Amino acid sequence: MIYVKRIFTFIMFVLGLVGLLIGSSYIFLPKSNEKNSGMEEFKANGILGEKANSIDILFIGDSELYSSVIPLQLWDEKGYTSYNCGTSGQTLDYTAVMLNRTFEKQSPKIVVLEAHAIYRKFTVKNVLFTKTADYFSVFRYHNRWKTMKIQEMNKPAEYTFTDECKGYRFSTKVKASENAKTHMKPSDKSAPIEKLNRQSVLKIKKFCDEKGAKLILVSTPSTKCWNYMRHNGIEAFAKELQCEYIDMNLMKKEIPIDWDKDTRDKGDHLNYFGAKKVTSYLSEYLESTALLTDKRGNPDYEKWDLALNEFNKMLKEQHV
Amino acid sequence: MFSIVTYFSVEALLLLLVTALLYACLPQKLRRWVLLLASYIFFYSISGKLLAYLLFSTLSVHHIGLWLADVQNECAAQTKGLARDERKALNAVYQKKQRKIMGFACFIHIGLLVLLKYTPFFSENINTLLKLAGSSFKLQIPKYLIPIGISFYTLQAVAYLFDVYRKKIPADRNLMRLALFMSFFPQLMEGPICRYSDTAVALYDAPKMRYDNFVLGSQRILFGLMKKLVIADRLNLLIQNVYAEPNKYDGFIIALSAVGYTFQLYADFSGTMDLVIGAAQMFGITLPENFKRPFFSATISEFWKRWHITLGTWFKDYIFFPVSMSKPMKKLTTQARKKLGNHYGPLIAGAVSLFCVWICNGLWHGAGWNYIFFGMYHFALILGGNIAEPVVIKITQKLHINRASFPYRCIQIARTFILVCFGELFFRAEGLKSGIKMFCKIFTDFTFASLKSGSLFKCGMDRQDYIIIIVSAILLFVIGILQEKGIQIRNSIAKKNIAVQFAVYYALILFIIIFGAYGAGYVPLDPIYAGF
Repeated sequence: MIYVKRIFTFIMFVLGLVGLLIGSSYIFLPKSNEKNSGMEEFKANGILGEKANSIDILFIGDSELYSSVIPLQLWDEKGYTSYNCGTSGQTLDYTAVMLNRTFEKQSPKIVVLEAHAIYRKFTVKNVLFTKTADYFSVFRYHNRWKTMKIQEMNKPAEYTFTDECKGYRFSTKVKASENAKTHMKPSDKSAPIEKLNRQSVLKIKKFCDEKGAKLILVSTPSTKCWNYMRHNGIEAFAKELQCEYIDMNLMKKEIPIDWDKDTRDKGDHLNYFGAKKVTSYLSEYLESTALLTDKRGNPDYEKWDLALNEFNKMLKEQHV
Repeated sequence: MFSIVTYFSVEALLLLLVTALLYACLPQKLRRWVLLLASYIFFYSISGKLLAYLLFSTLSVHHIGLWLADVQNECAAQTKGLARDERKALNAVYQKKQRKIMGFACFIHIGLLVLLKYTPFFSENINTLLKLAGSSFKLQIPKYLIPIGISFYTLQAVAYLFDVYRKKIPADRNLMRLALFMSFFPQLMEGPICRYSDTAVALYDAPKMRYDNFVLGSQRILFGLMKKLVIADRLNLLIQNVYAEPNKYDGFIIALSAVGYTFQLYADFSGTMDLVIGAAQMFGITLPENFKRPFFSATISEFWKRWHITLGTWFKDYIFFPVSMSKPMKKLTTQARKKLGNHYGPLIAGAVSLFCVWICNGLWHGAGWNYIFFGMYHFALILGGNIAEPVVIKITQKLHINRASFPYRCIQIARTFILVCFGELFFRAEGLKSGIKMFCKIFTDFTFASLKSGSLFKCGMDRQDYIIIIVSAILLFVIGILQEKGIQIRNSIAKKNIAVQFAVYYALILFIIIFGAYGAGYVPLDPIYAGF
């Protein structure tokens, strides 16, 4: 009898705890997806404020990506709607979170995954934390106690904010690369991919297939983060996944990156000038897939024209 | 790969849970195997192949213990029935033999510790001296991988051998019991430094897991988590900035960081001890306490009886007493007593023993001049306190100050706290030079300007962080007062009705989840004492 009582007490305790976690998660969840409301990675999460089913291409990855792809240029050149969900140091567990979040409201036809994230190490602990934080957002947003107002606590969440650059991080800083000459020196070796990372990408591929989205792996130009061994590793993995892989580091003719001028931090990330070249190539490539339609002139997408005007205005102000 | 970095990692807690589950389900004979296996998995997940060092130490301790026992038995057999003088002479021969064995044991165990931990430090200093002497000869500075917890399990091993040598305990013929004593995973990384008589038998007996032990142990683990995640990790935001670049900050911020670091060290180490002792309690094993409200200490001596207690008692039993009770010291005390009287006479031999203790204490914490300075600082304070005591008593008597009064004790506590904080400043500083600079800055550049301008809140911790630290400090202070009064808080909670118990646990869990310094923007503090 005593065992039954103890088991019952334990179950009651756990249920009570779960209830408290759900309650506190509701309280701590940002009620808007703006920075001021405490939203994490608010620029990338600006996609939550986009009109439902309006995004055709989802770019996902780490800082290499948010420095390299300009969604508003894609709109300008081809009329494709896209969003750059790159975040600093993004690991694949967070990539999965962003994918899930996006597909709740959007149904992009193409998902472009920046391959550098595939080599970023993460642990089972990271996955556990991310999963737990997904169910109980108090773990992710607990730090909001510092800024939270009482009236916010009971408000329903309403995500209407969207980033003016659609996730792209603008920078015109120039700091020349120091290893451009030796960059992408051919090698037969292949950089191994961690088991957990492989599994995560396989899951991402499966998810995209189920949702009817085409997964493309891309390596954006970087003299610091990319090399031939990684190229070999991803190329082989892409074959295994049966998806396309574009390594822009090898496309010196198609994407003529000037490593003296097109990088903001010695070849690690591209600046606006480099990103422009990458996006130009991408717009042609995406057109060749024949999966997308030009939405310019469509009254439902008027806001994209307004965003582009603002972006161009900003470029003028920056004398670019 | 399963790898543990701290006791507070998910992996470590998972290992604890799985071990507890297996321990609860299996019969007694297998339970001890579960503990041993979990201990070796724990060690391997941190130090990998360096597990060989632990295995070597265990085997060597077992063998040397038996060797000592054989010599003692042989001595007992040989001296049986002999006349007193003959017995004495033979005893002396066997005593000499035992001493040689102990010398050999210390050479192996302490030698290994010194080799792995201190050779780079000694080599560097010898090179500096050679350079100063104009020599171009340079010693190669070796780099060794150090197994986790070597400073802790070596002291346990040496204590066991000394206890066998002193016939306090019989040598253990059971290798498994000794292996468990040396490697029990909750205490492996940061102690407490246990004696064989404290834990070995209980570990081998592997008592049945009891509900009340499980509840009390879990409570204590939660409390430890609170100290670590809410206090120690949050304070890290300020401490790492200020100690990395002290020149950027004024004396007030440096003083605040010194206090903050003392509190952080306490929260980190005592929080870890709560987890360790709580985890052991879940298995029905009682580990010795390592902390007893140290900030309520009136003197530095008292502080060291309340802070890292097991290390202090180890030094007392295996360094202080052997040195002070040695023949030359006894002789010195007798002579000094005649010339200097009953108070100051024994102080000389005591000072020599104390010096040995504190040089070892400093070095035990790390191979660096700041650690040696830290040891010497406390040596000077304790010795100074002993020397000044008669004078202080006279002065207070003349001034009609009641030394037992509450205000006087409060002043003593405040003074001790300040002295401890200064000591910890040198302890944490990035080298002795930096420590001296920081110490001087407290007196030469002390200004409240950073508080008035608000720049204090831009050194890593903002206003809200300070509020949480203050609230947590008040909470610990209140709990400390209750414990000083002899109130057993955890037992009192466990006796309350289930609703009150649940409310307390939920409040503590939510406090940790909401105010814990984890996730984006926080860098968890590496376990400080695991580095020693």
